[in-house]
Amino acid sequence: MGYKTDWFKGIFPALVTPFTPDDRVDEAAYRELIRFVLPHVNGVVPCGTTGEFSYMTMEERRQAIQICLDEVNGRVPVLAGTGCTSTRDTVALTTWAQEAGAAGALVVAPYFLKPSFNEVYDHFRAVDEIGLPMVLYNIPQCAGTHFKWWTAEGMALDFDNSIGIKDSSGDLPFMEAMFEKVSGKVSIFVGHDEVVQPALAAGADGAILASANLIPDIWQKVYQATLAGDIETAQAWQQKVQKLVRIVVRCSSTQAVKEGLRAMGLEMGNSRHPIMPGGGFKREDYEELRLQLEALGKIEQVPVTYDLGGRQVETRLCATPQTPRTISGFVLKVGEGFAGPPFQELAHVDLLIGLKDGPVGRAIERSLAEWGAERGLQLINQRPRTLIVPTVTLRTAKQRRLFAEAAEGVNLAIRASVEDGFLPEGALDDLALIVNAFVHPAASIAKRVAFNNYKATMQAIRKALEGRPTVEELLHEKASARHPFRYAP
Amino acid sequence: MPIKVPWLKGVFPALVTPFVKKTEEIDEEAYRRLIQFCLPHVDGVVTSGTTGEFPYLTREEQRRLVEIGVEEANGKPVVAGCGASSTQEALTLVRDAREAGASAALIVTPYFLHPSDKGVFQHYYDIATQVDLPIILYNIPQVMDAYLPRTVVEDLADLPTVIGLKDSSGNLTYTMELLEYAGERIDIFVGHDEVVLPALAGGVSGFILASAQVYPEVWQAVIRLVSEGNITQARLLQRQVQKLSRIFCRYGGGVAVKAALKMMGLDMGPPRRPLKAVGGALIHETQAEIRLELEKLGKIPVEETEFAYPTGPLAERFGDLEITPAIVAEHGMRVGSGVAGQGLDQVQIDLVAGGKDSPLGDAYALQLTYPLHGREALTTILEPALTVRPATLLLPTLPQKNLRQANMIYGPTQSAVARAIVDALETGFIPPSAVEDEVMIALATVHPRALNRHALYQAVYSAATQAIAQAFAG
Repeated sequence: MGYKTDWFKGIFPALVTPFTPDDRVDEAAYRELIRFVLPHVNGVVPCGTTGEFSYMTMEERRQAIQICLDEVNGRVPVLAGTGCTSTRDTVALTTWAQEAGAAGALVVAPYFLKPSFNEVYDHFRAVDEIGLPMVLYNIPQCAGTHFKWWTAEGMALDFDNSIGIKDSSGDLPFMEAMFEKVSGKVSIFVGHDEVVQPALAAGADGAILASANLIPDIWQKVYQATLAGDIETAQAWQQKVQKLVRIVVRCSSTQAVKEGLRAMGLEMGNSRHPIMPGGGFKREDYEELRLQLEALGKIEQVPVTYDLGGRQVETRLCATPQTPRTISGFVLKVGEGFAGPPFQELAHVDLLIGLKDGPVGRAIERSLAEWGAERGLQLINQRPRTLIVPTVTLRTAKQRRLFAEAAEGVNLAIRASVEDGFLPEGALDDLALIVNAFVHPAASIAKRVAFNNYKATMQAIRKALEGRPTVEELLHEKASARHPFRYAP
Repeated sequence: MPIKVPWLKGVFPALVTPFVKKTEEIDEEAYRRLIQFCLPHVDGVVTSGTTGEFPYLTREEQRRLVEIGVEEANGKPVVAGCGASSTQEALTLVRDAREAGASAALIVTPYFLHPSDKGVFQHYYDIATQVDLPIILYNIPQVMDAYLPRTVVEDLADLPTVIGLKDSSGNLTYTMELLEYAGERIDIFVGHDEVVLPALAGGVSGFILASAQVYPEVWQAVIRLVSEGNITQARLLQRQVQKLSRIFCRYGGGVAVKAALKMMGLDMGPPRRPLKAVGGALIHETQAEIRLELEKLGKIPVEETEFAYPTGPLAERFGDLEITPAIVAEHGMRVGSGVAGQGLDQVQIDLVAGGKDSPLGDAYALQLTYPLHGREALTTILEPALTVRPATLLLPTLPQKNLRQANMIYGPTQSAVARAIVDALETGFIPPSAVEDEVMIALATVHPRALNRHALYQAVYSAATQAIAQAFAG
């Protein structure tokens, strides 16, 4: 018979494992991350899915768990990820974790070869015999093995050392079945960041989350509000972070969390291959994640100088380590932005920023004078002087109407960039922008066109000013880049 | 005891249903034309199947389609699609089909409410025992979200009026299982255009296909070649139509078939709403691809185009950008040119690089304000959200007259130029100082009838690499 412990409740981040540039576990960064989350959490999980356990050697996993135990030093429980695909390895690592002093083990469903239910059951029974408190971990989207309620119930009730179930499926009917079958007997944790608040409200004892690396404090608020019966506050926070966590969960969470931490100033390296930057976590996802972190106040504003050639303007903006502290070269800056889905409503923006008396300003005046009206050019802003140009010639009333939506999105992005400091008030009289915006001739959903152009323009402005992508990024991704129109259907 | 009927073999097109624009009424004349068009190369026709948009047709319309089919088919069998969600409605449709003269009814697995195995069995059993018309079972999980269970087929095959099964799943493991358990008793037809040859080699009796109204003669030839044991030649035929078959199966269905027929001069009108003729399941880019494939198959004539690759002194080729040889010289701009590829894949890249504060900076900015009616400049990207540096515009020298032509520029050409630039950054041909200080404009001349994306990519990469080498070497 499993049991409930006092310590297994609340918010547990599934810690990322930082790697050094030469691909070793980065002990210093790991300790820094643990110190960052510790004030806000009820426990930590080293070597979970977000910790890339499946890309680490047994030696590295022991090393990471050991560092974690040492840094935490008893202040909160350490729930060590010890699951492997074979029973033999899982038993070995769990036995080691028990000796090392872990409070418990998070054991993932044996994956890849998709063992049958009774094989899964016997796998966990073998781990149970070690005697370390064990959390059964259901994550069908990665493991390919889904706990059926009767398996989970059997394992929770039959085994002496079962203390809980972590369900990352996001499948609330499954979770409700677990409440029905085993609540009160073992703890039930939610592991899907998009449904934390509803799961807690429905009775989950806590959450083990990838995004709790980034926003442990907010998840603690959701947890505390729920405990206090303040559902409205909990809901409000969940909704506030919904976009952020959707990006994290759906887009290679390991890389997403690491790039988010990097934007916040915590360098954790990248995920190990085959997960890579610009892969499942796409470039545009990064831009959106960054904006969300900014909106939550997670990226600090710093002073940045704009050198406008002869004149300097000071601004404050949310800088990442990639943001130069002095930005110059305002003759001509080029930025690109891309946002979707859906396909026919996607936005692709080519954006130029430059001085009014440089190539950008001259092109605006000349194009307006010579072919502006005929080709649908619109001056949508005076400060900065902004020209929007349709990439594809507008032929129908519907296309013109949808392009107006795109222009609205572009304009919103410019106003937002004035407000957030990327287009500093003091430079607005000097700067000119050309925004060449693509609207698919078959686009339909008007508001999506506006939203996507807003996002694409936000990205393009920042990329132009920060000089991104960098040559280093281009070299890293040149072979793996997947151009969507290069291939036949 | 089950009986195999002698006529149930060979090639059956799943006919589209033509509609009149705006009113969405059935266009009977067009339907007759379509049947006459296919008839010489088919063994029968199928009315109001999935390709025929059966869920959007009324009972009366489905009956009318069978009547027209019988009138036009000149004695060849007409199989009536009698798909319905409820058993009662299916029974009504099958009775209608019988009265209208159909040879058999094609009955899809009951859909939407997902009945159990028992319910599915009973659906077919009721029809088979209550109406005296041969029936063909129909498995199409991609729209029904469920397979017709093999064990149900195994039992249904014992009923005397069940004569066949159409399997549109494209899942050959399922098809082989059906052949194993029911193939002795009923005829198995393949309904997935992408796997016709392997299914035929595996033992199916024939095909009910969307593409059998576009290239029925190809499928007849495949049957003939396989019967002669000439698998090698049959493979070539299947491969020739592989991409179009894939488009029909996966990227537009009946809508894509209508688009193809229209290009071939058989206007079957739009689909019924909510489907769109283009811009919905069939996107414009795919429509352009259909044209390209029909050209390859010789189904539509290829427009001859006159054009020339730019010649003359290199520095004179950038006049469109208002960059003259004098400006090139005065501002120390770098120019280079490269040519590669053969025949339709021959490409030429003429490249100019120069300082952002030179007239090339002005030209760069100006190009982005100027939709050129078919010669739009675009930023060179490795993939979306990954622009190359130094910032580079790609400008086609020839007007892009259609999307099919544009696809060659915006896909293979753009990505190959991007890759050549980034490779040149790595080798150091393009110096680090150029990343911030310079811009480049690449003029691309691609044959208007180029159609091999892979060969084009290779040629553009090679031409762009030469152009960069020449520009930055001196």
